[in-house]
Amino acid sequence: MKYVRMIAGLGALSLVSGSAFAEDSSDPIKIVTNNWTSQVVLSNVIGQVLESAGDKVEYKPSDTQLQFTAIAAGDMDFQVEVWEGSMAESFDKSLKSGAVDYGAHQAVTREDWWYPSYMNEMCPGLPDWKALDACAAKLATADTGSKGRFVGPPADWGKHYSERIQALNMNFQEVPVGQAATLWAELQAAYDRKEPIVLFNWTPNFIEAKFDGHFVEFPKYDPACLTDPKWGQNPDAVYDCGAPASGYLKKVGSKELDQKWPKAAAILKKVSFTNPQIAAAAALVDVEGLTPEDAAKKWIEANQDTVKSWLQ
Amino acid sequence: MTEQPKISCRHLWKVFGSDPAGFLARHGHAPTSENFAAGRHIGAVRDVSFDVYPGEILIVMGLSGSGKSTLIRAITRLNDPTVGEIIFEGRDLLKASPAELIDIRRHKMGMVFQHFGLLPHRTVLSNVAFPLEVRGATREERDARAREMIRLVGLEGRENYFPRELSGGQQQRVGIARSLAVGPDVWFLDEPFSALDPLIRREMQDEFLRLQKLLRKTIVFITHDFDEAIRLGDRIGIMKDGRLVQLATPEVMVSSPADDYVREFTRNAPRDRVLTVGSIASPVPAPLNGVNILASAKIGEAAAIVLASEKPIAVIDAEGRSIGAIDRPAMIRALYPEERP
Amino acid sequence: MNGGGQAMAAPQIVPAPRLSLASVVVAIILLGCAAAWTWPPLQRWPVEWAIPFRDWVTQAFVWFSAAAKPVTRGLSWLLSWPLWLSEALLFRGFPALNLLPLPWVAIVGGTAILGHWAGGRGLAIFCGLSVFYLAIFGLWQDAMQTLSIVLVTVPLAAAFGLGLGLWATRNARVERVLNSVFDVMQATPHMAYLGPVVILFGFGQVPAMLATFGFALPPMARCTILGLRTVPQDVIEAGRMAGCTPGQLLWKVEIPAAEKTLMLGLNQVVMQTLAMVVIASLVGASGLGQKLLFSLQQLQIGKAVEQGVAITLIAIVLDRLTQAYIRKAPEHQATRTGFIARHPHLSLFLLLLATSGAAAAFLQAFAVPPRELTLSYGGPINSAVRWVSKELFPYIKPLRDWLTVWLMLPLRSFYLWLPWPVMLGVLAAIGYHLSGWRLALLPVCLFGFLMLAGFWEPLMLTIYLVTGATILCVLIGIPIGIWAAHSPRAAHVTRGVCDTLQTFPSFIYLIPVIMLFQTSDVSNVIAMLAYATVPAIRFTYLGLLRVPAATMEAAVASGATNWQRLRKVELPIAFPEILLGINQTIMMALAMVAITALIGSRDLGQEIYKALPGADTGRGLIAGLGIAFIGITADRLIGAWAMQRKRQLGLA
Repeated sequence: MKYVRMIAGLGALSLVSGSAFAEDSSDPIKIVTNNWTSQVVLSNVIGQVLESAGDKVEYKPSDTQLQFTAIAAGDMDFQVEVWEGSMAESFDKSLKSGAVDYGAHQAVTREDWWYPSYMNEMCPGLPDWKALDACAAKLATADTGSKGRFVGPPADWGKHYSERIQALNMNFQEVPVGQAATLWAELQAAYDRKEPIVLFNWTPNFIEAKFDGHFVEFPKYDPACLTDPKWGQNPDAVYDCGAPASGYLKKVGSKELDQKWPKAAAILKKVSFTNPQIAAAAALVDVEGLTPEDAAKKWIEANQDTVKSWLQ
Repeated sequence: MTEQPKISCRHLWKVFGSDPAGFLARHGHAPTSENFAAGRHIGAVRDVSFDVYPGEILIVMGLSGSGKSTLIRAITRLNDPTVGEIIFEGRDLLKASPAELIDIRRHKMGMVFQHFGLLPHRTVLSNVAFPLEVRGATREERDARAREMIRLVGLEGRENYFPRELSGGQQQRVGIARSLAVGPDVWFLDEPFSALDPLIRREMQDEFLRLQKLLRKTIVFITHDFDEAIRLGDRIGIMKDGRLVQLATPEVMVSSPADDYVREFTRNAPRDRVLTVGSIASPVPAPLNGVNILASAKIGEAAAIVLASEKPIAVIDAEGRSIGAIDRPAMIRALYPEERP
Repeated sequence: MNGGGQAMAAPQIVPAPRLSLASVVVAIILLGCAAAWTWPPLQRWPVEWAIPFRDWVTQAFVWFSAAAKPVTRGLSWLLSWPLWLSEALLFRGFPALNLLPLPWVAIVGGTAILGHWAGGRGLAIFCGLSVFYLAIFGLWQDAMQTLSIVLVTVPLAAAFGLGLGLWATRNARVERVLNSVFDVMQATPHMAYLGPVVILFGFGQVPAMLATFGFALPPMARCTILGLRTVPQDVIEAGRMAGCTPGQLLWKVEIPAAEKTLMLGLNQVVMQTLAMVVIASLVGASGLGQKLLFSLQQLQIGKAVEQGVAITLIAIVLDRLTQAYIRKAPEHQATRTGFIARHPHLSLFLLLLATSGAAAAFLQAFAVPPRELTLSYGGPINSAVRWVSKELFPYIKPLRDWLTVWLMLPLRSFYLWLPWPVMLGVLAAIGYHLSGWRLALLPVCLFGFLMLAGFWEPLMLTIYLVTGATILCVLIGIPIGIWAAHSPRAAHVTRGVCDTLQTFPSFIYLIPVIMLFQTSDVSNVIAMLAYATVPAIRFTYLGLLRVPAATMEAAVASGATNWQRLRKVELPIAFPEILLGINQTIMMALAMVAITALIGSRDLGQEIYKALPGADTGRGLIAGLGIAFIGITADRLIGAWAMQRKRQLGLA
C-alpha cells in the first residue's frame, strides 16, 4: 500500500509545483519548545522575528531538564524561558558544559503556594500563612486525615515544601502531583465547585488569566533562610521562609548559535519580555483560543515597538 | 526381470533419537526391537531394500506408524535417511550435494501430497507453473506447459481459481498437474487420495490409471488402503514397524502371504479381481473344449463359467495351448478360502 | 446437577500435598513476623545496604552512549531520511524542488479507495470520513506528522521483527533467548523504553521512532515464528520437491503461505506504534501526541479529546484496513486486459491524484485544508467535563472517601508493613505448590533483585496500587461479563465500550479522573480501571460462552435455577478462563502504572517518569524491569493456577 502511495505520490508531485517556498542556504536554528503556553508562544514570536530577519528556524519540543543537556551539546540552539525557581541548577550546570547565557528578561518570576480568591472568606486573614494554617481543617481530606492538604509540585522539583511545613510547624501535608497538568485539573475542579484548595503555582502563567487568586505570604525570603537554622522564627530548622518573590527569567543559547548565526545571536541577546507581555501572549492562546503560531503573529503586530528595538 | 532398476534402495535405515548414527553403529547396524526400546531411539525405517523398475507402479502399503511415509521421504531425501544407499540412475542420491539434489528434483522427480500442499496465495495456473518458475523457465514457457498439464488433469477453465475455491478432488488434480509439470522420470505419490471421500477417491484412482497409461512413469505410491493398493499396484510392498515385510505382485501376496500380518490384510481382499485362473488351475492339462479360459484371466471373470460347468474346463495360455484345468471345487476354494484357526 | 457435580469431582486425582499450602503459608508468616520483630533488617532491608545497580547501569549507559556516539549519530542521520521523505510527501512538500506535498483531498480520497479495495463500501466510507475528520478539525499537519512516524516505523519494525522471527525459526536456542527477552520487553511499560533511547539518541522525532520501534518489534517477531511454524508440512515439502533453493523456499513458499499470521503481526505493530505515539512525545516527537499533551497542560480537555479521537481514528482505520486485508481472500477474476480494468482502484486513485494535484496548483484549499473551514467541538466537551466534575462530585465524594478509608489506606499500610521474608516466602510457597521449584525461585529472584537494588518501597506501592485496581476490576468486570454473556444486546454495547476504552489515549482519562477524585491513590486506581477492566469483562464473557451446551442442558434438566446454574455450573467451568482474564487485568494495570505517575504516585511508575528528564537510565530501567517482574511473576503464578484448574476440569 505504501509502495502504491509512494509511486503515485511522486507522480503527483511532478504535476504540482508551488512557489511559496524560498530556499535558505543556511541551516535552521533549533528553538526549544516546552509544554506550557507562554513558552511556546514566545518561542514562536522569536522564531517569526528571526524568520523576518532572513534566518531559518525549526521548533524542537523538549523536556525542561533535558533541554539543557541538548543545548550544551549543540543539539538545540535556543531556549527563551529559563526559570530561576525550577531550572537554576540545570542551567548553571549547562553553562559550565558549553551553553551560553543570553541574558535576562525584564519579567520576574515567582513560585509558591497559591490559593483562589474565594478562600479569603473561608479563611479570614489570608494571604498570611498563619491564617492558612488556622484554616487547615477546611482543607483536610480522607487521604490526609486531620491535616490540611497542600497540592504540591512534582516531587523532584526540589521545592522542600515538606521541610517548610515542618519548620513552620504547620498542620499540613503535601500531596505531590506527577505533572503540572494535574495541578490545573485540581484547581479547575475545586474552582468550579468553590471548594477550598491550596496548591503550587507560579507567575507568569496562563493561570492568572483564567483564575483569580493570590500567593500565600510566608516569612520573607532571605538566602540565609536556606542555610542557617538560626535565621527566622524556627531556630532549629532551615526552610522557615517563603520563596523569592522576584526570581529571574533568562535565555540560554548554544555555543554554535553565536558562531553560525551571529546576526540572529545579536537579536536574541536583545530579546526581552515583560510580565504583562508574557501574560498577554499566553492569554491569546488560553483565552482567545488561537494556535501558538497565530498568537505569535498577533502578539508581534501588537508589540511592534518592542520587536523593532530588538532588531536595531 | 533383467531390466535395470530406476531406483534401488539398499539397507536403508531411518532412526530418530539423539544420536541415530551412533546408535546404529553401536548395535552393528542391526539393532533389534529390544535395542530400540532400551536405547530411546525409534526405528522408523529398518533395513529396507527394494528396486523400482521403469514404468511400474510400486505401492508401499502399511498402517499409520509403519514407516511408509518416512520411507518415501527418505528416498526423496525430504528427510535424510540415517544410513543406506539409494541408487537413482546409477548414482547414490545420499551422496548428492544440495545443489545436485535441487537439480534432480527440478528435472527428474515429481511428488503428490496427501493434503495437496498447494500454495494458498497462488492461482491454479501459478501453482502448476511453480516448479518451472523456481527452475527459471520463462513466463511463456511455464504458462504453456502449466496449461497443458491443467488440460491433462481436466481442469481447463479453472486456471485463475485459487485453491480455496476448489473441491478436494480438484485440488488434488492441481497437485497432480504440478507434480507432472517438470516432466519427471519418477513420480512419488504420498497417500494422494486418502483425504478424499470414497466416491471421489475411486474417480481419482481411475484418473490416475488413465494418466499412467498415457505417461508410463516410474511410480512409488504410498497408501494405507489395501484395496487401493491391489487396484493400482503392479507390485505391493507391505511395511510393518519400519520393515518391509513382503514385496510381491498382488496375486502372489493374496495367494501366498509371507506371514500372518500380510494374511490379515489379504483376507478381505477382492480375490476374484486379484487371482488369475492360472494360479489356481491344476497343472494337469484338460482337453480343449468349446469353452476355454485364458490363464491370465482374473478368477472373477471366469467364475460364472466354471461354476456353471460340471466338468473341469481347460486353461490355455496366450497361444491357445492347454496348460491346465480348473473345476468347480477349485474355484470355490479360491473364492472362499477356509478360515484358518 | 448430580451428574455435573460428579463429572467435575471425578478428575480431581491430584495427590494430597505433603503439607497443605495454608499451613505452610501460616508458618512462613509467623516465622517471618517473629524474625522481623527480633531483627529489623528482616522487616525492611536497610537502604544503606542497597547495591548500587542503578548507578552502575546509569554509568554504563553514559559510557556506552559516549562510546557509541558516532554509531548512534549515524543511525539517527540514516533514519532521518525516510522520515524526511515521508514528511515531505504528506505535509512538508519539497521546497528545494518547488513541489507541494500530496494534496489532502488526494489523501482523504486515497484512504477511502484503499478501504474499498480492502473491505468494500462500508470500510471505504469509514476510512474516508475518518481521514476527513483530521482535516475538518484542523489537525491535518499534526496528524500527517504522526502518520509519518507510523509510516516509517511500521515497515522498519515489521522488517526487523520478520528477520528476528525467521532467525528464531532456524535456531532453537535463539528462539528460547528471544522468547524470554520478549516476555520482559512486552511486560515493560512503554515509558521505560524512553530512558535508554534518550541517553543514546537524544530528543526528537528519530529517538521517538526508535523507542516505538523497540516496543512494536516483539509482536511481529512472535507472529513470524507462529506463522512459519504453522505453514502445513505438505506445503513446505511440495516446495522442496519442486526444487526450491532455501531462499526460494522462504520467499516463495513459507512467507506467502504464512501471510495471514504475518499480517496479524503487522496489525499488532501498527497498534503498538499508535499506542506509543502520545508517550513518545515525552521525548520530543512532534505531532498529535505532542499537541495532546500540550492541550492537557492547558487544561483544554475538549481539544485533547479532539486530538485523542484523531489518534484513535488513525488507529482504527489502520486496524480495520489490515484486518480487512487479512480477511480478504484472493478471488479469481476473468482475465481482463488493460491497466484500468485490471487495477480499477489504483487507476481511480491516480486520476484523483492528477486532478487534485492540478487543482492544488491553482487553489491552495486543495493542497492544505483551509483553516477557515475547520470545526471544533472542544468547547462543549470542556463544559461537559466541568459540569460532571461540579454536579457529580457530591455523589462521588462519599465513594472516594469510603474507598480511601476502607480499601486504599489499609491496603497501603499492609503492604508497607509486610516484612520482605514473608512476602518472598509466601510467593515461593505458592509457586512451589502450583508448579514446582522453578516457579518458587522465580519471584524470590526477581523481587529479591529489586530489594537489593533499593526499590522495595516503590515495588510494594506498585503492588498495592495494582492489587487495589485488580480488586475493583474484578468486582466491576466479572458481573458485566456475566451480564454480557446472558444478553446479546449487552454484549454488543459492552464490546463497543471496551474497544473504545482500549484505543483511546489513556492520558486523557487522567484529567477528568483528577477532577473527580483529586490527586490520590484512588485516582490512580480509577485511571487504571478504565483500561484494566476490559480483559476481566472479555475473559469472563468468553469463558461463560465456552461452557459446553450439553453441560448447561444437563444443569437445566436437573432442575437448577438460573442462579444455581450460574454459581454451580457456569462459573466453576469458566473459572480458568476468568483467571486468565484477571491475569490480563493485572498486566493492563501494570501498563498503566507508568501513566498514573502523571497524577502523582510514589510507585515504580513514578521512578520511571522521574528518571526520564535527568537521563537517569539506571533508575528508569530498573523501575521498568520491576514492573515487568511483577507482571511476569503474576503471569506465571496465575497461568500455573489456571492450568491446574483446567487439568482438573479436563479442559486442558
